Amino acid sequence: MLRRLHITLLVCALPIAAQTVEFNRDIRTILSDRCYTCHGPSVSNRVSKLRLDIPADEATRKEILRRISLGDKPGHMPATGPLLSQQQIELIRRWIEQGGSWQKHWSLIPPVRPSFPGGANPIDYFIRSRLTREGLAPSPEADGPTLIRRVTFGLTGLPPTPGEVDAFLNDRSPNAYENVVDRLLASPRYGEHMAIIWLDAARYADTNGYQTDGERYMWRWRDWVIDAFNSNKPYDQFAIEQIAGDLLPNATIDQRIATGFNRNHRGNGEGGIVPAEYAVEYVVDRVDTTSTVFLGLTIGCARCHDHKYDPITQREYYQLFAYFNNIPERGNAQKYGNSPPMIKAPTRAQQAEVQRLDQTIADSEKKVVATGQSKWESKIAPGTDWFRQRQLDAGNIGDFGFLDKFTLAARINASSPDGSIFSRMKDESEGPGYQVILKGGKVQVNLVLRWLDDAIRVETSDAIELNYPHHVAVTWDGSRFADGLKIYVDGISRPLKINVDEMNQDFAVNVPLRIGVGLKGTISEVHVYKTDLPADEIAVLATPENIGQIAAIGPVHRSAAQSAKIRLAYLDTIPEWRILGDLCEQRARFYDSIQTVMVMQELSTPRETFLLRRGAYDHPSDRVDRGVPAVLPPLPNGDANNRLALARWIVDPANPLTARVAVNRYWQMYFGTGIVKTVEDFGSQGEWPSNPELLDWLATEFVRTGWNVKALQKTIVMSAAYRQSSKATPELLQRDPENRLIALGPRFRLPAEAIRDQALAVSGLLVERLGGPSVKPYQPAGLWEELSGGKGYRQDHGEALYRRSLYTFWKRASPPPMMANFDSAGREACTVRETRTNTPLQALDLMNDVTFVEASRALAQRMMKQGGIDLGFRLATSRLPTERERSILLDLYRYNLDRYQTNPEAALKLVSQGESPRDASLNPNELAAWTLVASAILNLDETVTLQ
Amino acid sequence: MMTRRNFLMNAALASLLKAGDSADVTQFAPTAKRIIYLFQSGAPSQIDLFDYKPALAALRAKELPDSIRQGQRLTGMTATQTSFPVAPSLFRFAQHGQSGAWLSELMPRTAQVVDSLCFIKSMNTEQINHDPAVTFCQTGFQLAGRPSIGSWLAYGIGSESNELPAYVVMISQGSGNRADQPLYDRLWGSGFLPSKYQGVKFRAGGDPVLYLSNPPGVDSGMRRRYLDDLAQLNGINLHEYNDPEIAARVSQYEMAFKMQTSVPELTDLSKETAHTFDLYGPDAREPGTFAANCLLARRLAERGVRFIQLFHRGWDQHNNLPKQIRGQAQDTDQASAALIMDLNARGLLKDTLVVWGGEFGRTVYSQGKLTADDYGRDHHPRCFTIWMAGGGIKPGVTFGETDDFSYNIVRDPVDVHDLHATILRTLGIDHTKLTFKFQGRHFRLTDVKGRIVSEILA
Repeated sequence: MLRRLHITLLVCALPIAAQTVEFNRDIRTILSDRCYTCHGPSVSNRVSKLRLDIPADEATRKEILRRISLGDKPGHMPATGPLLSQQQIELIRRWIEQGGSWQKHWSLIPPVRPSFPGGANPIDYFIRSRLTREGLAPSPEADGPTLIRRVTFGLTGLPPTPGEVDAFLNDRSPNAYENVVDRLLASPRYGEHMAIIWLDAARYADTNGYQTDGERYMWRWRDWVIDAFNSNKPYDQFAIEQIAGDLLPNATIDQRIATGFNRNHRGNGEGGIVPAEYAVEYVVDRVDTTSTVFLGLTIGCARCHDHKYDPITQREYYQLFAYFNNIPERGNAQKYGNSPPMIKAPTRAQQAEVQRLDQTIADSEKKVVATGQSKWESKIAPGTDWFRQRQLDAGNIGDFGFLDKFTLAARINASSPDGSIFSRMKDESEGPGYQVILKGGKVQVNLVLRWLDDAIRVETSDAIELNYPHHVAVTWDGSRFADGLKIYVDGISRPLKINVDEMNQDFAVNVPLRIGVGLKGTISEVHVYKTDLPADEIAVLATPENIGQIAAIGPVHRSAAQSAKIRLAYLDTIPEWRILGDLCEQRARFYDSIQTVMVMQELSTPRETFLLRRGAYDHPSDRVDRGVPAVLPPLPNGDANNRLALARWIVDPANPLTARVAVNRYWQMYFGTGIVKTVEDFGSQGEWPSNPELLDWLATEFVRTGWNVKALQKTIVMSAAYRQSSKATPELLQRDPENRLIALGPRFRLPAEAIRDQALAVSGLLVERLGGPSVKPYQPAGLWEELSGGKGYRQDHGEALYRRSLYTFWKRASPPPMMANFDSAGREACTVRETRTNTPLQALDLMNDVTFVEASRALAQRMMKQGGIDLGFRLATSRLPTERERSILLDLYRYNLDRYQTNPEAALKLVSQGESPRDASLNPNELAAWTLVASAILNLDETVTLQ
Repeated sequence: MMTRRNFLMNAALASLLKAGDSADVTQFAPTAKRIIYLFQSGAPSQIDLFDYKPALAALRAKELPDSIRQGQRLTGMTATQTSFPVAPSLFRFAQHGQSGAWLSELMPRTAQVVDSLCFIKSMNTEQINHDPAVTFCQTGFQLAGRPSIGSWLAYGIGSESNELPAYVVMISQGSGNRADQPLYDRLWGSGFLPSKYQGVKFRAGGDPVLYLSNPPGVDSGMRRRYLDDLAQLNGINLHEYNDPEIAARVSQYEMAFKMQTSVPELTDLSKETAHTFDLYGPDAREPGTFAANCLLARRLAERGVRFIQLFHRGWDQHNNLPKQIRGQAQDTDQASAALIMDLNARGLLKDTLVVWGGEFGRTVYSQGKLTADDYGRDHHPRCFTIWMAGGGIKPGVTFGETDDFSYNIVRDPVDVHDLHATILRTLGIDHTKLTFKFQGRHFRLTDVKGRIVSEILA
């Protein structure tokens, strides 16, 4: 049978102590939720002239009260859905009695720094004022171990070491706690921890997210975020660089990498999509993410129609859309790898290496003495020829794929305008593979996996002359795009016509390379190279005369290609020149190995933006220009109205939302719930702040300190509110079950990343290396295969198993199961609200996942060798166990030891879990028994909770 | 915030609405208690299985008339194809049962149960590609991020089982097209609903539920003792902090322990009779096949799991359709029919709704070359066929009709939102009332649409 559905309408999250009804706090939420759909800002939805989002006259107000009080009699309001509750009707009645004044929505009024009398931390002043009004008192400060564990997790996502706990407990100075806070803020672990919630908000992932869900490479952007937090980049700069770093004057590589923020959205490479449709979705994602993350507005609602609750029109939506609609991207993203626009994103170490190689090359160049050419020429015997030795071995010739560089060259004398020069393609019309053909006398290159939607076709603009010898060369740079192809005829790069440019997957097929199929005439001097030769080397190839013949021509009578050819042949005799060549190749190889990152970039010719009816890509209506919603402050005059202007407008102190939204998200991080619980929605449908003065003080303080992120964190964690004990009384739980009034310190389950990182840290397995490509730790076998068949997860080994969880490879189609079990954001789209659930799958994970079994064994080893139960308990909880706790754990140990002594095989199995070697000096039966004790410690509610 | 809620202590995997989420007690009388959704991923060809079009034979290899195509948008794979030759099905059709439903020879076993089935031949969708179309079927929206239908049910009405999740998913690989479309965990994800409502995947290899088994060297007795001690330790902390979340965690560990027994018992088919295996076919003895999953679906239904969803991959026949679809039909026909018969024999069909179908249909014209014994079909969103059975759906009827080309719907269209509304209706849920407030909006599975197809309700 159906479970009875509970119905609860949330009038206000908090008890209303004050007698005065305030429109924004008490009334707007009711009107917005139940009335604005028909009587709100949306023109198209409005069913009558009556609007309740703007002030109404007294008669109207009375009519409102009459209609909502009708019960289910005819004419009742709301016309649809449940009736208003008695409490809601009563609030509206009192509001009308008190004059029924309207207010502009609170979050659109710029915050004013509230006054406070000084003395205490202002945070505590505002929280205590509220508690006093509610007749409540704050809790005493938490004990030392609890406090240092809380703040260490709060700022770094890791537990304190016993040494750190001791140092704090033994520090009798008044600055003891502050010293800890300063130490934590300076730790590189701080930046990693702060990055995690930003990665959730920025929908960061390691795959493209649609269909085959191929890998992408955005970790350079992820590392930029970590750096930004660690170097305490001011929040306004943090925002500007991510939204528009590419448009800053003389943008640095780092500033361009930062714009990866708006390329983290999913990209669709599925065959058969309508690219225009997804080109719109990418821009929509940017608008939605940017407005949620920075403005806390659900502007996305206005994509299809005027916003039903907030004063944002559909037209304004597309005005914002226009800022993000001007990048040289395509709707059909690359199935595998990054999609343009992208840049090489060398790390600092790589930048240094490139510089070093360039310097070495410059030094080597000076050593080349090439003044003896004429003397050398005089000794050339007639008939001598020369080629750099770069030919492939015979065998599987020309086995090239779309990521390989190659060159195909031959001299042909064709008597027919059609026929194949090179072909490694299946025998079917437009079949998969590659070919270089003559088509109507033009040289045409086809790279095909599936004709039309997964293929490249380019051809020379002009036909070659028939019955005449021509040298034809094709080079491909492995870039996956048609402009990576060059066709040379007689050593000269020819203008090309791109017919199809839709390559998305590898075109390699396992058939032999065939030369001259169906071509009438002759083919000679066939050359195949595993690299894309530069133009000068192609010119050499194309030169029919051998070295002996060229030497016989007087230098001034030689063609450019002839001169180049004999010059290269001469240089090749000089050892220093050969060394230089090797160095250049080394540099090229190194440069090729540098990872790219997708970035924002402007089109040179701006793309027009149109309002899309019902949000549909194929229903464009009026053209719209860039602009910001009228309900917010105007753009500053003067500058170009581009993304950079938008970014600066977002972080302008006049913007009423940005600072509030940011500080609220940090508050959520520390207390589990935002001051505005709806961290993603500061609009009409969002929740009224639990403490408006506190929110506004924090917001204005943030701006006043120059958007100093570390200073803000410090202010919050230094507050007495944060330092309170979280031990609750049943009465308080009854009164404020969600602790919105902050009469208690925070107590909530740790996020997924912190739970795993803690297990690695306390067991001594954690590898604290900052940044780098994502890693693939343990995962149950077969998870990727069962979704997609074949393409499996290749788990890493060694240190990669023990990196912090923010470095774990995030496949959108199959996220790391432990993260999914513990409520991580899905990384499909922007997520800013934290949720926490409590499920049996979490219990199974913590008890049985090899990650935690191995960590338990490693922790057990530490316990056996160093400090027994007390050490294990302290590592996990920062405190010593009580006598009772100790004895329960000791009993558990004894029970299991008995079992393992009668079954040593089982013991050996348990302690052999995981790839880190077990400590062979320890008795396996004892180690197994201690492993279960360690596991129990890691599974304690206290261990997985910040309390 | 989900913490500090003591009602979870008893609710375990089941779910209740939270304060602030809106739902209405106004409900219909349910006709189904649970759903088994046999999702055919990749999009089966309605023309070769269900939607009999005898007139096509005479039009073989002729161009599809513009009057039929009506400028319908095509996928990027055939949009530039210059010819659209009509490809009649190679397979013979015949009428079956008292209801006289037409079925192709590919579905001989299904033919035996047609009088229990309701065919909807007028299904349609807006999506022309797999990822958005499957996502649309699962969540009512083409882009990822919204809760799946099973998660909505887990959230709305929970599970009838205290030992199993409300929403269970099983996957099988079709033999027709092994390189077929991939699936994604988000298809059974909870979207913006709390993650405890997400579908739990039961797997054929290794642990049926991730991390279900104790690590090697730990037996059930040791685990019992471990949990007792853990509960004691947590009890000490509960006494200090009074946070009901601690008690909830203890009960979740107990639930985990129960699952360690109940799930292996569930997936152990050794006590099933030879008759049952004969019914479901030889594949049913092989874990991970569609047939084995159908048998498990019946066992899950018996144990009160609310929403059981099978995904069978391999239906994406762009080319080589005749050969591939034989394999797919072979995989699914017998077990699908067996499930209907088995449920019926056990008295479960009357309150179990079974749904069989994919994400869209396939084109009447051939993708690629049309030869005497070969053709392919591209994606076709304008019409496709599904069938439903049991759970208060009229048996032995066919609803909706397409034109002579199985290209356009000529009568009683049913879109994906309508299907969702109708499925919810059988469970007694008003689809306009099952909502969750997220980003300021009351979201629902059917978005702003959905018509209950009352014509097919018994």
